[in-house]
Amino acid sequence: MLFKLAWRNVWRNKRRSLIVIGSVIVGMIAVILSDGLSNGMLRQMLDNQISSNILHIQIHKKGFNDNKIIKNYIEDSDRVEAAVNNTRGIKAYTKRVITFGLLSSANSSAGVFIYGIQPETEKEVSVINSYIKEGNFLGTGKRDIAIGQKLAEKLDVGLGDKVVAMANTPSGSIGSDMFRVAGIFQTASSDYDKVIIYVPIETAQSMLELNDKSNEFAMMLNDYKNVASVKEELSAKLGSEYEVLSYQDLLPMLIFQMDLYRESMWILNLIIGLALIFGIINTMLMSVFERIQEIGVLMAAGMKSYQIYFMFIFEALIIGIIGTLLGIAAGLLVHLPLSFTGIDFSLFSEALESFGVGAVIYPVLSIENLISVLIIIPMIAVAGALYPAYKAVKLEPVYAINYV
Amino acid sequence: MEILRAENLVKIYQDNGVPVHAVRGINLSIKKGDYIVIAGPSGSGKTTLLNLLGALDRPTNGKVYFQNEDITTKSKSELSKFRLNNLGFIFQAYNLIPVLTALENIEFSMMLKGIPEKEREEKALALMEELGIKELAHKRPNEMSGGQQQRVAVVRAIVNNPAIVLADEPTANLDSKTAQHLLELMQRMNKEKNITFVFSSHDKQVIEQAERLLILKDGMIVNEE
Repeated sequence: MLFKLAWRNVWRNKRRSLIVIGSVIVGMIAVILSDGLSNGMLRQMLDNQISSNILHIQIHKKGFNDNKIIKNYIEDSDRVEAAVNNTRGIKAYTKRVITFGLLSSANSSAGVFIYGIQPETEKEVSVINSYIKEGNFLGTGKRDIAIGQKLAEKLDVGLGDKVVAMANTPSGSIGSDMFRVAGIFQTASSDYDKVIIYVPIETAQSMLELNDKSNEFAMMLNDYKNVASVKEELSAKLGSEYEVLSYQDLLPMLIFQMDLYRESMWILNLIIGLALIFGIINTMLMSVFERIQEIGVLMAAGMKSYQIYFMFIFEALIIGIIGTLLGIAAGLLVHLPLSFTGIDFSLFSEALESFGVGAVIYPVLSIENLISVLIIIPMIAVAGALYPAYKAVKLEPVYAINYV
Repeated sequence: MEILRAENLVKIYQDNGVPVHAVRGINLSIKKGDYIVIAGPSGSGKTTLLNLLGALDRPTNGKVYFQNEDITTKSKSELSKFRLNNLGFIFQAYNLIPVLTALENIEFSMMLKGIPEKEREEKALALMEELGIKELAHKRPNEMSGGQQQRVAVVRAIVNNPAIVLADEPTANLDSKTAQHLLELMQRMNKEKNITFVFSSHDKQVIEQAERLLILKDGMIVNEE
């Protein structure tokens, strides 16, 4: 009966209750959209980095990740390859030669990371070939090179133009080679497009006097959730001479940002909740003051203070729960189509590209956030009723009954 | 058998800092089955006295004993329980809970006592039928006339078998015919069920039916018939 009484009291002033519920709904839509966008942006940053270059796990000679010099190459490639082949859960892998060097055209030059790759296996693990805007990704030509759009603009080169790459060899001499631009790519990250170039691994090994050596084994797993276990298994097999790094190890700042966001999500929800609380306090106070005589009658009938208190708490809880559920439904109605079509931020695309996001953001909703608003907002509604309910139970029956 | 006793009851209000002596040293004994009317002009202290007897207000001085137990020293929570178990109230403005139907209003105090839903519904409907208002069971207060609401209020007051029903000007908002019906109903309950009624009223109809009449003036009982 107490709940029935509370339910009916909520609807005795429909307009007022609907206004409060409406404000909760608007708050929920704001939470869901902002969460979806932030989450989507971070997820895209991570996905883009993983799928275009980082992949799930990388193996190097110990120390290479901190000091990417050509001297830090993998001496026993066969042993690493055997370990990779004998580990379950790895979908595909590729070998890479990576070093820092200089790329020059007739007009200009730029510092670059030279990636010597196996074009066929690279296509199996990364999506870099899908970012090709002009020409083709590396084919069979030994002097083919694929460079980013921004770098092409900087060097003022186009398809078929010659460029010269130079880099230190392990012996300290300078290795160089001439390439022809076979493909120009444009990823979601302008920084990436400025500094990464791709050449065939054999040409890179020859230029850098590496014979058949490489710096990196990079791989994708069947399921990214198994990263920790696969990493552990490979580390155990390869020993301390090698570093086996997951994408979390390779992208610490991004992972930190995502963790930080997850933590701050509760605070964001709390802030939105606090904005709602005043509306709820106001509504509940009005509700108490309008029903002073009725409260007196309830007291005279023998209703205990805590029962009156909980009647008001239930009323706020009903408003909070209805508002939250409808808000989530409305938020999902807005969110779902956008999660497929994405939101075009072309106006801010330069800024977004520098973050490696891309111009179109696909909102991603986190279940954790939905759960947090499901808990926080009704709790906020209850918090908003604490003071009005206290006012109600502090009334003296004789004063309340005779209140006009 | 005495069920309620007031001893030297005093109530002084502060009205903008000015003390108002609403009740001045009243002594009163109420017995089981009494049908008492407290009458007097406006401002004589009728309602204040009724509030003190009904534990809705605390006296400035004096004691109220219910079955020889002092109720003036009880806590707010104890008084709620005391009212629930021993008293029924009828108000001038009916004061039904507007969001509940007549049946639910009647069931309400039984619900507070923890009586199971089926039992309380059966009891409420039986009493409504006995008093001829069963057809009002599913109506809300705003769908009923004043007389109908007050009948529901009477059933609400007696459904828990209280020791005393305190009725503050119960006929004040009713026409004389409706008031007469209501008074007959309460008299019937008094005779048939031996329910004790204490009225505060200056309505002639109510006063005429009193078995025991207390006349109040300036907060004191000046006559008893």
